[in-house]
Amino acid sequence: MLDNLIFLSAPIAGSILLAGILGYFGNHILSRGIIFIDIAVAQIAALGTMIGLLLGFAEDSVSVEISSYVFTLIVISFFALTKFQKQKISQEAIIGIIYCLGLGLALLLVEKIPGGSNYITKTITGNILWVTWKQVIYCALLFALIGIIHIYFRKQFKGISDSNRNGSLPFSIQKTRMFELVFYITFGIVIVKAVPIAGIFLVFILLVAPTAAITLFTSNWKKRFIGSWVIGVVGSVLGIYISYVFNISNGPAIVCLLGISVFILAFVKLFRKQTLKS
Amino acid sequence: MEILEFMFIPFIACILLISINVYFGIHVLKREIIFIDIALAQIAALGGVIAEVIHQSNENSLAGHGHEGQPWFTFTFSFIFCALAALVFSLLKNKKIKIPLEALIGIAYAVATTAAVIILDKSAGGDVHIHDMLTGAILWVGWHEVTILAIVISLVGAFHFIFRKKFFKLTDNYHKADTGVKNKGLWDFLFYFSFGLVIVQAVSVGGILTVFAFLIIPASISSLYANHWSSRIFIGLGVGAVVTILGLYFSWQLDVPSSPVIILFLGVVLMLSLIFKKIFRKQISDN
Repeated sequence: MLDNLIFLSAPIAGSILLAGILGYFGNHILSRGIIFIDIAVAQIAALGTMIGLLLGFAEDSVSVEISSYVFTLIVISFFALTKFQKQKISQEAIIGIIYCLGLGLALLLVEKIPGGSNYITKTITGNILWVTWKQVIYCALLFALIGIIHIYFRKQFKGISDSNRNGSLPFSIQKTRMFELVFYITFGIVIVKAVPIAGIFLVFILLVAPTAAITLFTSNWKKRFIGSWVIGVVGSVLGIYISYVFNISNGPAIVCLLGISVFILAFVKLFRKQTLKS
Repeated sequence: MEILEFMFIPFIACILLISINVYFGIHVLKREIIFIDIALAQIAALGGVIAEVIHQSNENSLAGHGHEGQPWFTFTFSFIFCALAALVFSLLKNKKIKIPLEALIGIAYAVATTAAVIILDKSAGGDVHIHDMLTGAILWVGWHEVTILAIVISLVGAFHFIFRKKFFKLTDNYHKADTGVKNKGLWDFLFYFSFGLVIVQAVSVGGILTVFAFLIIPASISSLYANHWSSRIFIGLGVGAVVTILGLYFSWQLDVPSSPVIILFLGVVLMLSLIFKKIFRKQISDN
């Protein structure tokens, strides 16, 4: 058992770390109604990696990583800056279109790279079991830095996320755009870092499920942050334990556990209120 | 004229897919549940995977039984899963649930995909399955699939045409408390269920990505130029048809996979129409 604990310690630390930062971002994402942003960002990052490989950089080299970041930051800045124009196409639709075009281009390029189809499946699955302590510590430092930026701008970010619901912007357009740029760039960096470690689906579920579960019951920001952290961490640790006991992969186990819990909670909420009324 | 022979079936398949997807795409954009088709496709696929596993384990217990496929068994499971998903989504669109339906759709998508991965892990060849579902191969589609697709689309299309007023009203007032439609839950269920039937057939012909692109890009382009349902459908259909012809032609000439080319062309048309719209509007305001 002790051996297993040592073996599992890095994945557990990694998933707690991810649950922390993604639980925070998730509340903003849900309030803004741009649920699939991370899948689109991850796809663009993968496209950037593939283009880096096509340009002849070595696999896992710094240049490839830079190429991946450059692509992501260009697309996400474009997304942040076009947000406040009067537009008939909703943001979520733009996200869908970005995802579609990113994946379409990736599929065209795949044939030019030896073993390219690997990159498409790799982004989908990921494997948190093989995360190393070095990666965990590097991520912890990076996420702490991003956390500090977000604590500093917390009121501005909250105001903009809330404005999605009540419609009035809290700042002038120029200021809002600047804050949006900071918000989306930090978010993009987190996603680019998190997806290769955990895979698209685990990142997606840690982003959306804990905050969806807590938002069913409260709309207070502070309660939502704390609630989603608790749910995310408990879900990840429990998921890793279940995957160990039943010998299934960890990522999928956590995803199913957290995802199904949200649906159960939603139905509890739906029927509990109804019985109270009657 | 080799190209005509080779491209005729894919062309018909694309036109069929576009015609129904433009219509549903407008619904989906108005309701802001963009990723519903990916979720429904994945849930139906999970049903298929479970059916296959049950079938395999039955076959093992009845050793020596012939290795014939069981398409109807698989189909029934996909069908049931699709109906269940439709039921859940129509129930959860409720004032008491204060989170956007898109979030629940996303979670359902993630759970369905990873559950399929867990199940396929226990059997074999999981990776290939996921990749195939994503891309599809519209060039290799045969008359058989196209005929089934045409039948499903015309049945669902006729159903939506007969009750079009109800469906339009439901979607136009989707974010309001009162939709003005009686038995809202039932019609919502019928909407998701019929949509799911089309998506399952469409994905098996065109792959998830192509269907997704056909669903949202033509409908987005049409939203730039028109507000009425019928004119939006015609604009989307026209753009889609032209782009499909161009896309199939270029993929033939350059010898590259056809669906990515069609998707990228659709993206280019969207960009051009956005720019065009901007310049055009400026000219009007200048005058």
